[in-house]
Amino acid sequence: MRRLAHRTHLVGWLALLGLACHGAAPRPNGGAAGPLVLADDAGRTVRLAAPAQRVVSLAPSITELLFALGAGNSVVGRTVFCKYPPAALQVPTVGDGLNPNVEAIVARHPDLVLLYRSPHTDAAAQQLAGLGVPTLVVRHDRLTDIARTARLLGRATGRDASGEGVGRRIDSLLASPLPPVRARIAYVVWDSPPIVIGAGSFLDELARLAGAENVFHDIATPSATVSIETIVARDPDWIAVVQDSAGDELPGWSRRPEWRSVRAVHDGHFLLLPADLFGQPSARAPEAIARLRDMLSHSPPATSHSR
Amino acid sequence: MKWLWLLAALAVALVAGVGLGPAPVPISQLWHSTIVRDLRLPRALLGVLVGGSLGLAGASLQSLVRNPLADPFLLGLSGGAGLGAVIAIALHLGGPWAISIAAFAGALAALALVFRLGLVGGVELDPRILLLGGVAVGAFCGAVMTAIVSLAEASELRNAYLWLWGGLSGASWDTLRVIALAVPIPVVVLLAAARPLDLLALGEEPARHLGADVAAVKRRVYLAASFLTAVSVAVAGVIGFVGLIVPHLGRALVGGRHLRLLPASFLAGGALLVLADTLARTVVAPRELPVGIVTALVGVPLFAVLLRRWTAY
Repeated sequence: MRRLAHRTHLVGWLALLGLACHGAAPRPNGGAAGPLVLADDAGRTVRLAAPAQRVVSLAPSITELLFALGAGNSVVGRTVFCKYPPAALQVPTVGDGLNPNVEAIVARHPDLVLLYRSPHTDAAAQQLAGLGVPTLVVRHDRLTDIARTARLLGRATGRDASGEGVGRRIDSLLASPLPPVRARIAYVVWDSPPIVIGAGSFLDELARLAGAENVFHDIATPSATVSIETIVARDPDWIAVVQDSAGDELPGWSRRPEWRSVRAVHDGHFLLLPADLFGQPSARAPEAIARLRDMLSHSPPATSHSR
Repeated sequence: MKWLWLLAALAVALVAGVGLGPAPVPISQLWHSTIVRDLRLPRALLGVLVGGSLGLAGASLQSLVRNPLADPFLLGLSGGAGLGAVIAIALHLGGPWAISIAAFAGALAALALVFRLGLVGGVELDPRILLLGGVAVGAFCGAVMTAIVSLAEASELRNAYLWLWGGLSGASWDTLRVIALAVPIPVVVLLAAARPLDLLALGEEPARHLGADVAAVKRRVYLAASFLTAVSVAVAGVIGFVGLIVPHLGRALVGGRHLRLLPASFLAGGALLVLADTLARTVVAPRELPVGIVTALVGVPLFAVLLRRWTAY
């Protein structure tokens, strides 16, 4: 399921979506008690008797967003991959979330389970529905998704204003990219086979909003396998790598001879992006963009750009 | 004449592999381009050596276990290599060659285990025990590997599966040097076993009566073919179908005598893998297909044509 909008005209589109999410009668901030009617990304209509108090989140980006909305106290279950913010580590885990462990989830007595949309989670959502546990399935891959998900989660947890605030902030972020700099980036997520990030990923959006250009923007999917030859031919100024471990150590493959044919690898022009900020689409996108922009302006590689 | 065809196929594959790619390189620039010199040329040559090794190993193992379904990975090596690679990634072993070395070590460990299993039961390297032992060890390694991937938290582990699918993207002159050093000895050992393998095709008892040292031949062939496979896995992952299909292509071309079948399998394996890799790099450019998928897409129809011919007799 590919979202068509990743460039301009986003604002209008988002406004429409916002309306759709809010339904006919926007509620004041968590005030009115009464049944909530929510539409999730699987196209389902979900009814909650009241804003959720015990939420199990099955994706790191969703957990982070809940904490960003101030709903961290309502999170009673997370996945082993949910490590941000640090406060999330206090929450008991219910497995890896990719293949949801329904028993572990139900044991947390949730009044709402949030699932990332995939074939595995569809089955789990049905099982949970059969047990009477309400679920919301969200597709949370790109920055546009953050705005929508933030509003949805805001309503679901009775924090409409926070959801709306995050949504607005992301909307305005998307509407105002930083002025372009001469920086062409290739995100390399794996070396053997070489896998790069395409236009379907939020990382592509982050690059654009930071004023840079993803040299694999023509690939529509979030990621794709390419030949090293293609990377050499596209000749990016920077190789961006998302790293789990903090530190400035270059990835091991940067010393492999076949990779040194890539000019940016040969010249050591790496952008080492910390995974806690760049590993998932989050409400901290403005911070990520500022960080990326800062890295790009520190040591401009344009001087060696003469081949 | 048939040899000319084989050599011509290999030459065409090499020219295509060097001349074609996702990045446009004008013919006049071909010799001066880094892309050609440091990426395409070593990749094509690596394809020849890996494809040739898999073809040769497949032909030898099919004769050894007297089973046309045998392929170099049936004897548990892919499982061992995969487990090695996954452990290297899970432990964050650094260095540019960590995964290759770990995969090689894993393949050798699986090889030793299957070999040891093959010693039980009186008859040394009984084909049935080898096959069963290989499948069992492979399945066990696969299970451990999946357990590690699902329990460990390193997100890179999901990519270990991609590595396992195999590919020639790790080609460089350094890789080529390593494999060029490792390949000749087992190749010579296997070619030298051509005559005893002919005898073995008659059955172990007749072969023994005709003067073959059956136990020694089986051991040499098994170890040499497995070593070739382990080296291939270390540099290129698990590339499927070459080792299964190529020996049958070879048999159809030059017959079942091993002195002809083994070199023919090497040449055909090299040609098939380089052609498949060229297609993998170019047909969906700028993206790339896993080469194992292309070897199957190209190899299986060829195989089907052969089957029709055989059944037509």
